[in-house]
Amino acid sequence: MSIDKDISPKLTSEIGSYHPINQTKAYIIKMLSDIGFNHITGPEVEMEEYNFDMLNIKKTHPARQMHDTFYVNNKSHVLRTHTSPVQIRTMLEDAPPFAYSSGGKVFRKDDDATHLPMFHQVEGIYVDKDVNFSQLKDLIYKIIYDLFGNNAEVRFRPSYFPFTEPSAEVDILSDSGNWLEILGCGIVNPIVLENCNIDSEEFSGLAFGLGVERIAMLKYGVNDIRDFYKSNLDFLAQFK
Amino acid sequence: MKIPYQYIVQSIEENPCIEEISDRLFQLGHEHEIEDGIFDIEITPNRGDCLSLIGILRDLNVFYKSNRNDDIYSGTIEEFKLDFENCVPKFCPKISFLKLEINKEVHEYKGLLRDYFNDLHLTKNNFFTDVSNYLMYEIGQPTHCYDASKIKDKILLKEINHDLDFETLLGKTIKLRGKNNVFFINEEPINLAGIMGGKNSACSTDTTSIILECAYFEPEEIMGKSVKYDINSDAAHKFERGVDPLSHDKVIRRFIRIVQDHTEIKSIMLHTCDNYEHKPTNISLDHNKINRIIGTNISRNEYIDCLQSLGFKINDNSVTVPPYRNDVSVHNDLAEEIARIIGYDNIPIKKIKIPNAKQEIDSTEDKIRAFLVNNGFYEIINSPFVEHAHENSISIDNPLDTTRMFLRTDISKSLIENLLYNERRQKDSIKLFEVADIYSIEKNQVLVTKKISIIASGRVGKNYKDFSKTMNVKYMNDLFKEFLPDFNFNFKNISRELLNSKSKSEIVFCEIDFKELQSYNCNYKDKFLPPREFIKYKPISEFPSSVRDISYLIKDSTKINSLRDVIFNHKNPILRDVFIFDYYQNKKTDEIKMGFRFTFQSHDKTLTFDEIDNAIELIISETLDINSISIPGI
Repeated sequence: MSIDKDISPKLTSEIGSYHPINQTKAYIIKMLSDIGFNHITGPEVEMEEYNFDMLNIKKTHPARQMHDTFYVNNKSHVLRTHTSPVQIRTMLEDAPPFAYSSGGKVFRKDDDATHLPMFHQVEGIYVDKDVNFSQLKDLIYKIIYDLFGNNAEVRFRPSYFPFTEPSAEVDILSDSGNWLEILGCGIVNPIVLENCNIDSEEFSGLAFGLGVERIAMLKYGVNDIRDFYKSNLDFLAQFK
Repeated sequence: MKIPYQYIVQSIEENPCIEEISDRLFQLGHEHEIEDGIFDIEITPNRGDCLSLIGILRDLNVFYKSNRNDDIYSGTIEEFKLDFENCVPKFCPKISFLKLEINKEVHEYKGLLRDYFNDLHLTKNNFFTDVSNYLMYEIGQPTHCYDASKIKDKILLKEINHDLDFETLLGKTIKLRGKNNVFFINEEPINLAGIMGGKNSACSTDTTSIILECAYFEPEEIMGKSVKYDINSDAAHKFERGVDPLSHDKVIRRFIRIVQDHTEIKSIMLHTCDNYEHKPTNISLDHNKINRIIGTNISRNEYIDCLQSLGFKINDNSVTVPPYRNDVSVHNDLAEEIARIIGYDNIPIKKIKIPNAKQEIDSTEDKIRAFLVNNGFYEIINSPFVEHAHENSISIDNPLDTTRMFLRTDISKSLIENLLYNERRQKDSIKLFEVADIYSIEKNQVLVTKKISIIASGRVGKNYKDFSKTMNVKYMNDLFKEFLPDFNFNFKNISRELLNSKSKSEIVFCEIDFKELQSYNCNYKDKFLPPREFIKYKPISEFPSSVRDISYLIKDSTKINSLRDVIFNHKNPILRDVFIFDYYQNKKTDEIKMGFRFTFQSHDKTLTFDEIDNAIELIISETLDINSISIPGI
């Protein structure tokens, strides 16, 4: 009896994986792109002016203190604390109407079990005539339903950000019955529009931001944020 | 800020249950937890006015009518001339000193003061300080009590800009650095203004004569001071958010009244320095503007009702903001007030229509990432902080620690760490890459370069053709020809000499600036695409894994499938992985040699040799039941 060549085991080669945080980030950016947001990027080493001043975060705001923000190169720059300065840079160059999403690494001076000095955000901004809070709600529901299903129970809470007014934080009800904070959003503070040479009498805007790690943890079921950054192949191999 | 449910319910005419008040607080933006009937409320930084019982009730007044009627001292208070000089009227535009003397010290507390200490499980200090703290809780205005017997000379409030040791009333000595506003007596600091008083002038349990200080301090000057000196100060927390500048008279009279409720007052006298000119904020009354911001359709009258319920005054066509609401100055602020009252969840949804986004162009980055992943590489994200500087490194002015002083100027070093980490975890085929923006400084200009770094070491792969091959420079350069035939990726070796590693296999790496790839035309078809769905992650084991190999001799080649079925269907909770690492057909003898590698790992412990041997035994006995199959050596 001769040996049939077909019986030899198949020579499969293994594929690797994209980092789960990059996958989650790309998922959110794609979802926003489908809604109409153009993705933009910008520097992680940023000027204070763009990271704070233009966003109506005053010199004395606690977030600007040395214990919250990394200052670099003898305070000439900061490590951006959010991706909003990317939007500022683009708004200075563009005229409304426009819709932009910005995603990437951000930095805060934290390091404990639930906070890392580097994490990721995706933010969006839409400026047009007559943009209002009712539309913001529609958009946020779209985002949350896409991420957590159409049955997600959603709660809007008033909150405070210097760059939006009114501001809201949005929670979803978890399976265990706790409200989990998912994102922050609001109507763009007219001061921010004016800072970017946009007539706030004519135009208004909405803005929102999500923490990518938070979404990734909930979507994948990862309980420890630090697991994403251990480079452990056993961990990464699951995200194929 | 902790407020017992009963404090709220006792202060209003209605009788809502705790859940209802909780919902209302959330609706108003006061996130909280509830423990033992006490709301622990997190007040957003713009709402300093809510950092008191009265403040919260003022906000809840939208839903519930307050029935609070806190008694205040309504008699006359004689004025006196305190020897005080204010060198910083901008920082402190308004300050009052109440001199108050009682006959006998008070040890037993009554009424609200007693309840406050009992209900919130607070430690008492001394009577006057305790009344002052209670008042701050009730009304929100911090006050400070000096022991009058210790104030024998002129009080001077001035700004200093030199180092100075200061002992707080809690006995902690701090070194004041930089600019600070401090109260002095004879060059001796007695109070770090707005933050904490000094021990040298503090009250004690037998104090019977005090000077009560009630002031307004410029929030921006207080900001960050308590963090800077690591002082936990409720007063600073309130001052830095802004207190009601017009509340002083009420606060002082309420203080007197509470003291009066406890003991007989011998004398009261007041000294006031008032340079504060209150300029009320006025905003035009325009409900249409509000409707445009929120997307609602409320009437002018509804708008007026809402604002009035929050203490705003309406005159003709203008809204006057109450003095304690320093967060409200424009229409968008008023819109938030209205939205809170309606309830964010009750605001109707209106369809949003944003024009289509532009189509993204396929980037080289997304193509090379796809190429790498298709070839078994794993993407890593590393933190940019490193210990050592290189030429043009950007330094962190306030690093987390000495191992994170600079921003990295290359990716490779991070990937070497990642590689060694995985080698220590028994990985013998490691392929990693990272894409990152790398920052450097040149002539004081921040430069950014988008780079990709690729690193690999160990076996080419797990299948029986790749198992015995190891990755080297030639292998890698050849592999990447598939991606860009005309570009030399120029892989290099990294010596293991200086690395703390047991493995001997070659490490190959490259690091490329994306700009270098720009001019090359990449025909690679695949590119990174966002996932359509998310997998469910299963926690990985933190315990070491062990491998065992079994080599089979199969005399009847038709039995090969039976063998594979038995092995790949074999179930054991500690068996994590199995693959064929060796396969050989002897055409002359009709025999097949086939090697399987088994990886064992437990979620709860390090496996013993016996446990692994037992698991292997089970596999052996099952497979040897198949005809014509043997294991040479057994």
